[in-house]
Amino acid sequence: MLDVARMAVEAAVSAGADYADARVGTDLTESLTVRNQQMEGIDRSESTGVGVRVLVGGRWGFASTARLDEPEIARTAGLAVEIAAAARRLPGEPVTLSPVEPVVASWRSPMKEDPFTVPLEEKVALLMEATRRAQQVKGVTFAEGDLDFFRRSTWFASSEGAAIDQVVTHSGGGTEVVAIGDGDMQRRSFPNSFRGHIAAAGWEHVRTLGLIEEAERTGREAVELLAAPECPSEVTTIVLDSGQVELQIHESIGHPIELDRVLGMEEAYAGSSWLSPGDRGKVRYASPLVSITADATLPGGLGSFGYDDEGVPAQRTLIIVDGMFQNFLTDRQTAHVVGQTSNATSRADGWSHLPLIRMTNISIEPREGTLADIIGDTKDGIFMATNQSWSIDDKRINFQFGCEIAWRIQDGKLTQLYKNPNYTGITPEFWGSCDAVGGRESWTLWGTPNCGKGQPGQTARVGHGAAPARFRNVRIGVRG
Amino acid sequence: MPGLIGPDGFRRVAEAALALPGVDGVEVLFMHEWGGLTRFARSEIHQSAWREDTGLHVRVVTKDRVGVAASNDFSPEGARRAAESAREMAEVIAPDPLWPGLAGPAEPASRNGFDDATADATPARRADGVAALIGRCAKGFTAAGAYETQAVEVGVANTEGQLCWAPSSQASLTTVVGGNEGGSGFAEAFSGRVEDLDPEAIGGRASDKAVASRNPKPLDPGDYVVVLEPAAVSTLVGFLAFVGFGGRYLIENRSCLSGKQGSKVAAEAISIWDDGTDPHTLGVPFDFEGVPRRRVDLVKDGVFLDGVYDLRTAKEAGRETTGHGLPAPNPESPFPLNLFLATGEASVEDMVAATERGVLVTRFHYSNVVNAVESSITGMTRDGTFLIEHGEIAGPVMNFRFTQSILDALTEVSMIGREAELASEFFFSASRVPALKIERFRFSGRSDH
Repeated sequence: MLDVARMAVEAAVSAGADYADARVGTDLTESLTVRNQQMEGIDRSESTGVGVRVLVGGRWGFASTARLDEPEIARTAGLAVEIAAAARRLPGEPVTLSPVEPVVASWRSPMKEDPFTVPLEEKVALLMEATRRAQQVKGVTFAEGDLDFFRRSTWFASSEGAAIDQVVTHSGGGTEVVAIGDGDMQRRSFPNSFRGHIAAAGWEHVRTLGLIEEAERTGREAVELLAAPECPSEVTTIVLDSGQVELQIHESIGHPIELDRVLGMEEAYAGSSWLSPGDRGKVRYASPLVSITADATLPGGLGSFGYDDEGVPAQRTLIIVDGMFQNFLTDRQTAHVVGQTSNATSRADGWSHLPLIRMTNISIEPREGTLADIIGDTKDGIFMATNQSWSIDDKRINFQFGCEIAWRIQDGKLTQLYKNPNYTGITPEFWGSCDAVGGRESWTLWGTPNCGKGQPGQTARVGHGAAPARFRNVRIGVRG
Repeated sequence: MPGLIGPDGFRRVAEAALALPGVDGVEVLFMHEWGGLTRFARSEIHQSAWREDTGLHVRVVTKDRVGVAASNDFSPEGARRAAESAREMAEVIAPDPLWPGLAGPAEPASRNGFDDATADATPARRADGVAALIGRCAKGFTAAGAYETQAVEVGVANTEGQLCWAPSSQASLTTVVGGNEGGSGFAEAFSGRVEDLDPEAIGGRASDKAVASRNPKPLDPGDYVVVLEPAAVSTLVGFLAFVGFGGRYLIENRSCLSGKQGSKVAAEAISIWDDGTDPHTLGVPFDFEGVPRRRVDLVKDGVFLDGVYDLRTAKEAGRETTGHGLPAPNPESPFPLNLFLATGEASVEDMVAATERGVLVTRFHYSNVVNAVESSITGMTRDGTFLIEHGEIAGPVMNFRFTQSILDALTEVSMIGREAELASEFFFSASRVPALKIERFRFSGRSDH
């Protein structure tokens, strides 16, 4: 397939491109969903094609096709050039690409057991048993189990001489238990909401999840929530589990540090950012306990790769150091604005899309202690777990997030159970109030396979290492 | 440009899957999409793209066991391989006791939703449209947005003898004009025909709003009378569809409307329906199971009638399918993609004039569900939020966070706009809705811009 990518690049250059790159890609997915001992969905999909990106006179053009014969590739490359030329009908600043050493390389994400060769019977049996155990809890209405497998193979070539092939494989799953009664509906998920815990790994990751072992507890909590009182409305201390800290990082740090958003390139749809290009090293984003990294080299992360979709090697970048904002996520087009070269975050949702700046693995650096230690150190507050809902404004500063479950913390112990917990805040104030972050033993590298951005909408698979954390003076229990 | 493959071309490929031996039924869903997009920011074109893809979803049934495989290899060999993969999956699972069978032969309503000029729109045409839009920006303001032209042909064929095919086109132009002193304004337009879009008018609307929204003042959160423009109303209607109208959610008591069939759930002036055959909406006149779409009244004169169903949920509920199946497998609910909210008699100006103190909202941003069974959602206002005092626009205000039950809001509707627009919500397809005046709406927080 690298030959096809090279052919597309040569065709684009012949058609007048000053720069060209091409990505041939194949995406393979397999997905299984069981609910109440019924197979709700079992499906596979495969998609192959090529996307050609060109610069003509400093303007981008991109075209893609699913047909890989030579005339069609030449037509598509020519169309990309025509599109770039059309963009020149308006005045504008020409694109300046930051330099990158052209690489000839091959890369594979680590994997022990290929999930696509594990018998379907074994996968179905796992989900049947996990959901059966959850359903044994009296009061459970639905028990659902999911498994998802994903493989992306990419062959990248550029007119600068890069030639890279890489393969990433992602595996994971989870359970979701719903209890319904008296006009109410409550949900508990394990190990995390929205289809569980997905990692850059093989079937061996699924074996470690404990879907069967945790099913009964998950079901029991869903039923107990039905009888629990509403989370109170007050301003208090909150402790978040690592799954909710994952969401908090994603929405209120991961997106606002994307330099294309900062520069207004996503303004009309997903929004922009409360940060400005000159904020590096000057803005206090969080308390001194909080350090954030963007690391595409982490084994197991959904945001891990060998090279991004511009052929730039994966990197670890310091984003926030001891609470001070240090770096944006950049690509080859935007890096010069902040006087840097790309830190390798340009990724596309497969062969048919233009790459954009996307999160890699945006993680909070662990400090010390377990979740139990943080709760034990809290005199009064609320512990919230597992994300259920999220909303944040167009500058990523005013947010309101909901969780599945909460407990009152009194004198270091969990007491009253609450349903429908949520909290709201302002990004730098909230992170500035963080006074505890868990240690390595409580830190989990979660996967977020559904990050949306761009027009037409693109879905990115990103990762977040997160530990439980504590925040002071937070408004909770917002209701209409 | 690629051009239509057409029903005969689709049938030739589908037959390779339909001929799969040793199974009880096969269904092939075909989608061929192409189109171009021109994105702009800071009044410059910064991304321009074109894509074409074909998709085949093959559903195979054997002894009431169902497997699905999808491929973008649009060839008889690709269709056959997908069918074999689907059969392999079906053979390892237990029978589905609710399997309703595949759709039988039925002729969808005739609808000409395809426009050659839209399907063939060139990047130069879109660039010129963007230039015209930008040309209407006031001094000191710039525009961001997207101009998209798309075409799709959809076909469904199955071993029960159903074969339907239809093409559709869509053009959309969306912009946010922003600039000096915090001013920001939004405008958008959708149509099946690119000629219907007026880039200059869209740019002018957004620019006027941006100029008017400079130097927004803080206003305390709380309960307000609101006038919602159509883009904001589309958020309420889209989320009501998400948490309320799906047949599966209704059956499972997960819907905010479960058990409320025949009950008053909104003001008497509120009627909501779905109609994929109406020429004023977008899409094709059959669902993804090959069932013809038709008008389905959901809320009539404030009373909830019923939701939408696909073949499987209809069987479970003891009803007929309403033609709202999504591509298989769909573990979630059938969904209405062509919603309408009935118009009234007022203009937005009438609503403002009838408001002693309230807030005018242009649109909402990044809304999400707080409590599904209470129809409660939260989100932010953006791109033009104004205080109304004594029947006039008093000035721009900083953006609010709202946390609000949709059904409560629709119960408080006192005036309805006489013009309906196709308007999009962030997560959903476009609905055709008018502006609304709502007597009580909860703003639970405020932003700093």
